[in-house]
Amino acid sequence: MGLIWTLLILVVSVLASPVFTRHLGRNAGYPLAVIYLVAAAAFTPAAIKVMNGEHVTYSVPWVPALDLNFALQADGIGVVFTYIALIIGAIVFAYSARYFHDGRQTSFYLVMAAFTLSMVGLVLADDLILLFGTWELTSLASFLLIARSGYGGELASLRTMIITFVGGLTMLAAAAAIIAKTGTTNVTEALADPVWTQDAAFTGTVAVLILIAAFTKSAQFPFHLWLPDAMAAATPVSAYLHAAAVVKAGIFLLMRFTPAFHETPIWNYTLIFTGLFTGAMAAWFALQKTDLKKLMAYSTVSQLGLIVATIGIGTEEALAAATLHTIAHALFKSGLFMMVGVIDHSAHTRDIRRLPELRRKMPWSFAAVALGCASMAGLPPMLGFVSKEEIFVAMQDAPGGAWMGWVALFGAVGGAVLTFAYCAKIVFGGFIDGKRTDIEVHEAEPSLLIPAALPIFVGLPLALFVGVLDTPVGAAVKAAFPVVEEGAEGGEHHEVHFAFWHGFNLELAMSALIVTIGVILIFNRKRLLKWMEHDTLSVDGAWIMMRIVKMFSNFGRTLVGVVRADNPTRHVAAQFIVFSAVAIGGVLTLLSTSGLETTQDNLGRPVDVVLMVIIMGGVYGVVTSQSRLAATVALSTVGIAVTVQIFSLGAPDVGLTQLLVEALTVLMIMLVLQKLPLRFGRAPRYGQKWSALLALSAGLSAGLLVWSLTGRRELTPVAEYYLTEAYEETGGANIVNTILVEFRALDTLGELSVLGMAGIAIIAIVSTVRHSTMDPAPEKDRNYVAPPNVPLRPTGSTAYRAIKEGWGNAVPMQLLIQLTTPLLAAISVILFVRGHNSPGGGFIAALVGSSIVALVYLASNRDHQVGRPRLPVFLIGIGIILALGTGFWGLFAKGSFLQPIHGHALGQNLSSAMVFDLGVYSAVLGLVMAAFNLLGATAESDEGTRERADEAYEGELMAPLETVRGERPMMAKPRTRHLSSDQAPARKGDDS
Amino acid sequence: MISVLPITIGVLVAGGVYLMLQRGMVRIIFGLALLSHSANLMLLTIGVTAWRGEPLVDRMDVATAADPLPQAFVLTAIVITLAVTVLMLALAVIGHNDDTKRMPSTGEFHDR
Repeated sequence: MGLIWTLLILVVSVLASPVFTRHLGRNAGYPLAVIYLVAAAAFTPAAIKVMNGEHVTYSVPWVPALDLNFALQADGIGVVFTYIALIIGAIVFAYSARYFHDGRQTSFYLVMAAFTLSMVGLVLADDLILLFGTWELTSLASFLLIARSGYGGELASLRTMIITFVGGLTMLAAAAAIIAKTGTTNVTEALADPVWTQDAAFTGTVAVLILIAAFTKSAQFPFHLWLPDAMAAATPVSAYLHAAAVVKAGIFLLMRFTPAFHETPIWNYTLIFTGLFTGAMAAWFALQKTDLKKLMAYSTVSQLGLIVATIGIGTEEALAAATLHTIAHALFKSGLFMMVGVIDHSAHTRDIRRLPELRRKMPWSFAAVALGCASMAGLPPMLGFVSKEEIFVAMQDAPGGAWMGWVALFGAVGGAVLTFAYCAKIVFGGFIDGKRTDIEVHEAEPSLLIPAALPIFVGLPLALFVGVLDTPVGAAVKAAFPVVEEGAEGGEHHEVHFAFWHGFNLELAMSALIVTIGVILIFNRKRLLKWMEHDTLSVDGAWIMMRIVKMFSNFGRTLVGVVRADNPTRHVAAQFIVFSAVAIGGVLTLLSTSGLETTQDNLGRPVDVVLMVIIMGGVYGVVTSQSRLAATVALSTVGIAVTVQIFSLGAPDVGLTQLLVEALTVLMIMLVLQKLPLRFGRAPRYGQKWSALLALSAGLSAGLLVWSLTGRRELTPVAEYYLTEAYEETGGANIVNTILVEFRALDTLGELSVLGMAGIAIIAIVSTVRHSTMDPAPEKDRNYVAPPNVPLRPTGSTAYRAIKEGWGNAVPMQLLIQLTTPLLAAISVILFVRGHNSPGGGFIAALVGSSIVALVYLASNRDHQVGRPRLPVFLIGIGIILALGTGFWGLFAKGSFLQPIHGHALGQNLSSAMVFDLGVYSAVLGLVMAAFNLLGATAESDEGTRERADEAYEGELMAPLETVRGERPMMAKPRTRHLSSDQAPARKGDDS
Repeated sequence: MISVLPITIGVLVAGGVYLMLQRGMVRIIFGLALLSHSANLMLLTIGVTAWRGEPLVDRMDVATAADPLPQAFVLTAIVITLAVTVLMLALAVIGHNDDTKRMPSTGEFHDR
């Protein structure tokens, strides 16, 4: 089975996790653990091939145009990290099934599964883009897993995300640089490129970028602060991500790029010094902590520092040691994290100062934690002992001379002393030194304890038979050093051979030294801890980080001040000033240099002059009128004149569209005007002159531009193509329509998405405004104008009825629409069907259909929704789905998105463009319907605007939702409860 | 005969810009309407107004037919104008006052 199967099985685990949690609740961890083991098993054949020296790869084209492949590879490094991710993942899932309280925990299992998928994708990636993508996915998943822990995790998760994304950016920069320089996105090929040895500056730069990325993920100074922060996440998350997986992604990255950088000094020194410093610093902080989980977090940072420093040595022995310690650390640290969870479960605290003496009450947990800490402290007979000895051996080969070897060795030893100390603190503080209290503490149930202790206990036999790791670690070393170093013994790779016992040597002496100091510390622990348990620094990293973030956001706010949206005038003015300057300057330059081409003959027609005069009058009316109603009338005059102008320019389709849009727009404006003051607010005197001046200059510029730049050329080849070829190409005689639905259908798709979005946006906007604000009662509405008090004849007279009982006024309209509705519907259908050959098509037909909506709306004496509440949203959705569907139909049938498919049926030329046009129709109708229903509602209607907006989303409601989205609305359902209660039933279309 | 369309367009732009610099949302919407009329006419004049035949294959002469491509653009533009206008109208009525210098009251409270 290929590598892809492992990933596919993990994809299944992601998809299956919501199903599992739905049916099994927290027990979903068990089947997911099994799936991980299956994935590990599926990976084994590939792993065996790798152990036998093969390089297993898998590749399918991803973006052929960019020569990108979805390329996977398994080498020694990938194998080690894949197994860590899958096996620790399985154990943590088995633990999670008992750790969490009853409940679904869907988000936990889903994001954890997605994380594992991206982690395995990362370590198997053989393409730089894939490597970057999966890297970012692991960051995102880690952010989500911290964020899901609620309020306490919010800021912590943000800090984590900011830090890891900084690393993501440097990694992206590195990937881009490598791709640009080596010309390949393939990781293996890029690393084998000769550029690394030839161009020192380039190598150094990329090395720094990569190591920053790795430092952010592996929590190295100064990026370490996110890891203690991340302890807000649930314990299983820490046990997996913060011990074995996400923090190891940085280690992985360093190993992956070792072939290119292991002889680059900046790489070596930065890794060694940062790693050792981080190791010592974090170990010191760990000693100060009393919360066991925080302590574990700092200890992880410290251990990672040690591994990073070891990788920095850059020799084959060092890499072998780093790999071994990575394995050992993944085992004992994930186990220890889970044990902290066990203690937390049993004692309901994980603070050393409050823990009772757990040794007697939880003997098994005591044993597990003690062994885990022994491994972490590097005591025999644990795996941690072997790996620490190996690291000591490797440190002595640090580049830069013998003294550097000693510096590195003593740095590591110093870190190890502190490590020993905090390990002792965990064991003694947690289990031995506690107060003898009466708190009821029981040993944890085996189903929780066994998965937690398992990775720790595995370290014991593994240390004694550490030889089994020779082959995988050896393969990892070969992967990191594809070219055998010059001067290596016999021209061979360093033969990895781990052993538990190496005889008496320097490393053993160092271990003895560490233990001696450690034991002294243990005996003096009471005094030392009292002195230690406070923070060394008065500020912590999180505080500094938040200051930096605050600084940036303040800076951002300053920038935003320039472009703030609460003063539209400023933006509009700026744009038109620039427009005028460019236009006038451009035309003057053109006139003074090359001059203008001669115009075509006969550009104008007499009718243009007539229309110009009408438009001038209309514009004057709109601009000067203080009455909203008069301005609207003047605007529609302009609209009609422009429509006629469009017709006269030989654009029947455009003209029809403009005419219908004009009518609908005016209707909608009238709906809105009923809620606004009768007159425009008085304009401020100051600034009006400038507005007028700017308006004149913009008008002059536009006129100059049109005069100088249009009408001065022959027919363009594009136009000629459409005029002569469009019919052959599409079978449609209406060229404009064929352009809309066939040639440039993607434009139209975008346009209809805009339409749909506008409809949805109106609903969204209105549903955020409270009912009382949207439709205020008359006494609350400052702009309310009471109806004029006309002295009328008494009740029952014609005059009284005409004014006070308005329903009669709607009767003629209601009778009329009985006739016009079918007529308009028929016209709409005809326009739709003939659109391909004559003026018409989806837009025009839809606008005619929309006029039915408008008429039905206007014909009611009270405001009624047209159509069912959710119909507009459905229409918009169906429209977009139809249009996209046609697009994919073309993609799959003809190989190009939106490519039309022609056919004959019933003696007609049919095209898939008709379906596309139907989508256009549906979306336009949906928008108009939403607009009428929402803009038309008033305080006097049965339902307020807010309620209608809510209903467009929720369905029929009893009242507007004065709540946030997500709460259960009161649904109006056809039930009989209203008979027993006093509540009125939902009204549907009554006309009372 | 020379074309007067540049003047028509200039007038529309001037009126549109003047209105867009005003305070009331409805006047801004009207300004946008005038401006989009001018933009549409501008696009159509790009297809040279000397040729004004309707681009319908069965009843046109290629020598006098209007350029269909700007027409398709304008058709799209008109419908998008409708969408934008409707959206702005919805914004104009929130709080029953369309003054853009005042934050429209939404009745909602935010925790910042």
